[in-house]
Amino acid sequence: MNKLEAVIVACDMVTSYGTGINACWNGMLSGRTAVSRLRRFNTSAFQSGYAAAVEGLKYLKGDSLVMQMFGLLFENNSFSAPEDAKFILATTKGEIDLLEEKFLTGKGDSGKSNPLHLLKKLSTLAGVSDSGIIISTACASSSAALAQAASMIKNGRSDCVLVAACDGVTEFIYSGFSSLMALDKSAASPFDKERSGLSLGEAAAYALVMSESRAKKEKRKIIGRIAGWGLSNDASHMTGPSRTSDGLIRAVNKALNSACIGEGSIGFISAHGTGTVYNDAMEMRAFHSVFKKKIPVYSVKGAIGHTLGAAGLVETIIALKALEEKTVPLTVNLKTADYDAEGWVSRNPHTLAGKQTALITNAGFSGINTALVVE
Amino acid sequence: MINIFGIGWIDNEEYGCIAAGEKVNYKDSAGFDGLSKRIFSHPFKNFGRLDKTSKLICYAAALALKDACINYSQKQDMGIIGTNDSGSLESDLLYFKDYLDSGRTLSRGNLFIYTLPSSPLGEAAIHFGLQGPLFYTASRRKPLSAIMEMASEMILSDETSAMLAGVNSDENAVCLILKKSAVSGNNFLCHESTIKAITSKDLAFKYLIKEFSALRKGSI
Repeated sequence: MNKLEAVIVACDMVTSYGTGINACWNGMLSGRTAVSRLRRFNTSAFQSGYAAAVEGLKYLKGDSLVMQMFGLLFENNSFSAPEDAKFILATTKGEIDLLEEKFLTGKGDSGKSNPLHLLKKLSTLAGVSDSGIIISTACASSSAALAQAASMIKNGRSDCVLVAACDGVTEFIYSGFSSLMALDKSAASPFDKERSGLSLGEAAAYALVMSESRAKKEKRKIIGRIAGWGLSNDASHMTGPSRTSDGLIRAVNKALNSACIGEGSIGFISAHGTGTVYNDAMEMRAFHSVFKKKIPVYSVKGAIGHTLGAAGLVETIIALKALEEKTVPLTVNLKTADYDAEGWVSRNPHTLAGKQTALITNAGFSGINTALVVE
Repeated sequence: MINIFGIGWIDNEEYGCIAAGEKVNYKDSAGFDGLSKRIFSHPFKNFGRLDKTSKLICYAAALALKDACINYSQKQDMGIIGTNDSGSLESDLLYFKDYLDSGRTLSRGNLFIYTLPSSPLGEAAIHFGLQGPLFYTASRRKPLSAIMEMASEMILSDETSAMLAGVNSDENAVCLILKKSAVSGNNFLCHESTIKAITSKDLAFKYLIKEFSALRKGSI
């Protein structure tokens, strides 16, 4: 396969640390988690009372949480997408709070929670003329969307694709994860020996992906390159990660092959790292299998929670920031690394020497695995 | 070149396989759930716990695989992509009403799982052993044409060697098997572009099936 030419020329995010990439980056490097007690709705019946919520959002009062987050991104900064950009929206539950609002307050229309409505609103907000597509592959939605954008560019279907991703912390989602017994009682601690579940988080993010030739022609700053990707399915269980990690191993090998590089070229891994016992063990098993030597691994989810459909894009943007800063971030909330993660994960940030290529892994319900290689 | 090797479909009364020229009316002989023993070539564990959309997709997928003469006793390098225009709204309503009925204290994980629009595809991937990419997508474009475009690109980019592409509504589903192959030979149903020409007309499901059937008979 030829070397790909999909580059990222603009990106930004809103997370529980605030608006902007630097807010998230600096928050993570401070070691302070943005997961805190959730006051948005009553959590007393649930497994946990903690989440990483964006401050200042209004809940069940008109605009959905995700539209408010995109308002912070698109209305308050200078970014505007080229009008001819294709548009991909990645989300799991989008504006599900509109359905909640109908049931809980009698206002609105449950049908407006259909993501096609969000797609239309966002394409207008972002200023693109394309009606767009939704990609939903559970918690790997936005990494699959980035892969699709890169594929569209590689195949000549477009030379400019805007990828947006979002999910909010709502009672619908929170109660569901609680019913699955997936939540940590306080803040998640990925790859820790004592980890006991995930923390939900919310985020909105975008990335403008272009062909390298168009980016150069328009004299755009190239923030990073999507060098390769791999997508796979475990085909074994709806909610439980594979006990053999074979699906993720296949996804990582596909990504390395499509980037035309070997495992030795990867400088660090941004892992899905939810903080559940089984997910993190599944990922470490895959990394042990693919990589001949220990390399730095981190998870952002102890810091900003699991942002569901937005996770892959947020984590890709952070990985690009890490490459730019030549710094591998720490894993927030890590105290004692589990035995299989010893020497891979760290409580402290450290300098990235030499290799300028990162691997981002994500996974989701239905056995979905994604791996992206960026440089 | 991408070719279509089989098409399976099901609605409230009938199901069928296009290449095999098979159409069965099941309304009077078996209930919807009772079809599982007829349609699946090996037992589907806990089929009863699936939501309606998952059952429709899995039935149509089994019929499409049968139509393409593909055995699914082993896991295989095939992806799955699906679309509809309602997302998971029915499952969302079911889950949240159930949760509210409990006094907002208890929710059911088995209902929550199906509030992800990708979950019906996940059920199919597990039963049929599909290890390639799994995508739910939606757009305002003609649904089947849109997913066939994405599926074809994935095959041509060597992301997977075959794709199962499906579209459903509340009451019906159709699935197609797409694979790369040479033009010569007659083991495939038709070329992808022929199907695209049909699916881009935005016809109702029954008419789509008629056109597919006519296609098989060589009348288009």
